[in-house]
Amino acid sequence: MTNKKQLKLGAFFMLPGHHAVAWRHPEAKAENVLNFEFIKEQALTAERGKFDMVFLADGVAAGATSAAFGKEHSASFEPFTLLSSLAAVTKNIGLVGTVSTTYTEPFNLARQFASLDHLSKGRAGWNVVTSGGKEAAANFGQDELLHAKRYERAHEFVDVVKKLWDSWEEDAILFNQEEAQFLDPSKVHFINHTGKWLSVAGPLNIPRPVQGHPVVVQAGSSDSGKELAAETAEVIFTAWQTKEEAKDFYRDVKGRMAKYGRSPEELKIMPGIFPVIGDTEEEAKEKYQQLVDLIPESIGVARLSSQLGVDLRQFPVDGPLPDLPHLNEINGNKSRFQLVKDLADRENLTIRQLYQRTAGGRGHREIIGTQVQIADQLQEWFENEAADGFNIMPPVFPSGLNDFVEKVIPELQKRGIFRNEYEGTTLRENLGLKTPVSQFAKVTLQ
Amino acid sequence: MMTKRQMKLGAFINLPGQHVASWRYEGTESKRILELDYLVELAKIAERGKFDTIFFADVFGTPIRENSPSGIKLDPLVIISALASVTKNIGLTATLTTTYNEPFHVARRFAAIDHLSGGRAAWNVVTSANDSESLLFGKDKHLAHADRYERADEFLEVVKKLWFSIDSEAFVIDKEKGQYLNTEKVNPVNHEGKWFKLQGTLDTPSTPQGHPVIVQAGSSEAGKELAAKSAEVIFTAWQTLEDAQKFYRDVKSRLAKYGRQPDDLKIMPGTFITVAKTEEEAILKRKNLNSHISPEIGLAYVSTFLGIDVRGYDPDAPIPQENVAIEDKTNPQIRANIVRGIIEREKLTTLRELYEHIAGARGHREIVGTPEQIADQLEEWFLNEAADGFNIMPPTFPEGFNDIVELVIPELQRRGLFRTEYEGTTLRENLGLSVPVNPNNKQSQKI
Repeated sequence: MTNKKQLKLGAFFMLPGHHAVAWRHPEAKAENVLNFEFIKEQALTAERGKFDMVFLADGVAAGATSAAFGKEHSASFEPFTLLSSLAAVTKNIGLVGTVSTTYTEPFNLARQFASLDHLSKGRAGWNVVTSGGKEAAANFGQDELLHAKRYERAHEFVDVVKKLWDSWEEDAILFNQEEAQFLDPSKVHFINHTGKWLSVAGPLNIPRPVQGHPVVVQAGSSDSGKELAAETAEVIFTAWQTKEEAKDFYRDVKGRMAKYGRSPEELKIMPGIFPVIGDTEEEAKEKYQQLVDLIPESIGVARLSSQLGVDLRQFPVDGPLPDLPHLNEINGNKSRFQLVKDLADRENLTIRQLYQRTAGGRGHREIIGTQVQIADQLQEWFENEAADGFNIMPPVFPSGLNDFVEKVIPELQKRGIFRNEYEGTTLRENLGLKTPVSQFAKVTLQ
Repeated sequence: MMTKRQMKLGAFINLPGQHVASWRYEGTESKRILELDYLVELAKIAERGKFDTIFFADVFGTPIRENSPSGIKLDPLVIISALASVTKNIGLTATLTTTYNEPFHVARRFAAIDHLSGGRAAWNVVTSANDSESLLFGKDKHLAHADRYERADEFLEVVKKLWFSIDSEAFVIDKEKGQYLNTEKVNPVNHEGKWFKLQGTLDTPSTPQGHPVIVQAGSSEAGKELAAKSAEVIFTAWQTLEDAQKFYRDVKSRLAKYGRQPDDLKIMPGTFITVAKTEEEAILKRKNLNSHISPEIGLAYVSTFLGIDVRGYDPDAPIPQENVAIEDKTNPQIRANIVRGIIEREKLTTLRELYEHIAGARGHREIVGTPEQIADQLEEWFLNEAADGFNIMPPTFPEGFNDIVELVIPELQRRGLFRTEYEGTTLRENLGLSVPVNPNNKQSQKI
């Protein structure tokens, strides 16, 4: 039997659902967003579906300054706490948390992920993001950092975190009880990093993580985001509407890796997918329409305004978009801005049509159809160098995740493009990524 | 039936054991300190013993110096989050410094753990104490003691405001009307102080305990004042009944000026316990552990406590007499004074005698003996205004901890000094602490 290349899947948890007003959906358990038993059930469902990982997004702001505050769901758990809790009740699934490099200290972050990696026996992953937005900045008494500065800091931050993970070589622990030598001090290193943004002496107070490094995930698709990913990321979550764009991005990023001495398979590109599943195409479309109908105009317009950085309330909702600022003037999520703008231009959408299209996937690709249709589309991207896998964004929990696990996963398995069993016990093994060697380990000359 | 006042107990889990040489001892699972299964086993032992809480200290910057696994510290919040989902009753106390963290992150994490655990989270507020820590955060020098406490005080104030920024009653979740939150129950924080300027709202509502229990561990003047103002539990270190009583009365008498009752704060000194069925056996156990201390480790260890570098000395040389003034008048100085007191009281002369004496309790009170003897000593402090409970420090895990749960706890229960069943499901209920009221709600009630 040949080993057919298989796709990787993330289960993107956003409770009670990815759709903007999922919480209003009759199937949504809106009151359960802070109920651990409920969240645990979702993780077990994802594990039953053999997903590579649970993925948690995060923003260090409650959205309290948004015009839609109070009308949107706005409670969530901080990722480390939730993932640590899930580590104790799951066995195989990867645990990927989003943590910003903008308002945190690398020592704390390196330590938290190393701790999670040990306790989960090698299932931790870090989605590296930078935080834009005035509300987030105000939570830390700071002014919003410019996009370029955020990425500059992020770059150095990731470097420092990796040094800290590397500060204990794999064989640093001697455990010689007889002679009272617990460790070999020559294999635990001060990192003595001094850079523009950070200065950290090290070493970490935790031995080398089980995976060497927790898996590094990156989500930005701007030019600086792509460069950071090519150099440091092992998984990219990204958002593309069309296969052509996705292929361009795929080739672009993979093409940048060689200059960092990396090969293309060391990075898995996983676009986000918002699936609406029905037993028939009509049923799927009805389900989708039901979601769209739940969006109050005020919320739709507010969300679109924040995605585009323009207050759209003054424009007719059934008319076209006004002139938008130039990309250079955008300090938030640059790539998402471009994507939404392109979507409106390409399909000639009104403001209402546009917010309806982006309220679910938030700019990610929406696939509405039967399990066969959805599997067809995933397979097409997967086999045409547009994706190595997908980050699945169920519209509503638990039904959207259940449907995917019960209907789409078996279809993918039947086609031989998704696993029936986990390949290994660590996230790295399941993703097919190799374990990094400590940068401080002495190279032995042959 | 009269309800007798009962003591509160913490299980101080310091792996591989409290004793400096515990990792070399055969009764210690020192190879498992990074395993979740092991931490779960220990938490369940504590729960079986009806402890109020398990307690995780935190320190960083020392792994190489000690050349023992005791320098390894997993992040305590990650640990208690993991334990939250697989335990039922036990409180989950984690230490976190205010010096190298941001109030927003801290408020969010502890709020999450309180929700995840159904009301069992506690935060032990510390300010960190050494330069090797500051170097991990891009600072050459540690913040001065007074500044650290000033920052800690304001840090706590901000964290508490954030915990109440969305009242749990704000969640109306009216699907029909499209109203998720009642924004009138949202109280954005607008704080501007010397250390923090913050405008914001947490994304987590006030928690099952109102807010997590606040624990404090410093015993300096500034520490006592901070505790009197904000803490609900104090972990402290005293050697003698008199010193402990003095501290107890001092701190409790400071509460009134903050509008608090003496019972609003539980004082729990650390107590290192070696127990066996006979006194001889207990003494032997204790000696056996000491025999595992290598002179190299022992000397490095006393250097830290004395503030004098005696590494490389002959272990049987006399203890240096000079009294080193430690600039930072905080825990290191207090610990140095405690150690000087021990030397005098116990008439210790050599460095070896000293490190063998403090290798377990690190300046905390040490009790060695039978279950009756240990219960006697705990009872004495408990009944004489020296303690409301104790933070129990087992010499080794799991053996020394199991011994305490199997031998000491039943003796305390027999005397009616300790619970046989948990009183409630939250840590506050078990500690007998009231649930804090959202100050924003209080105000609106008055109007």
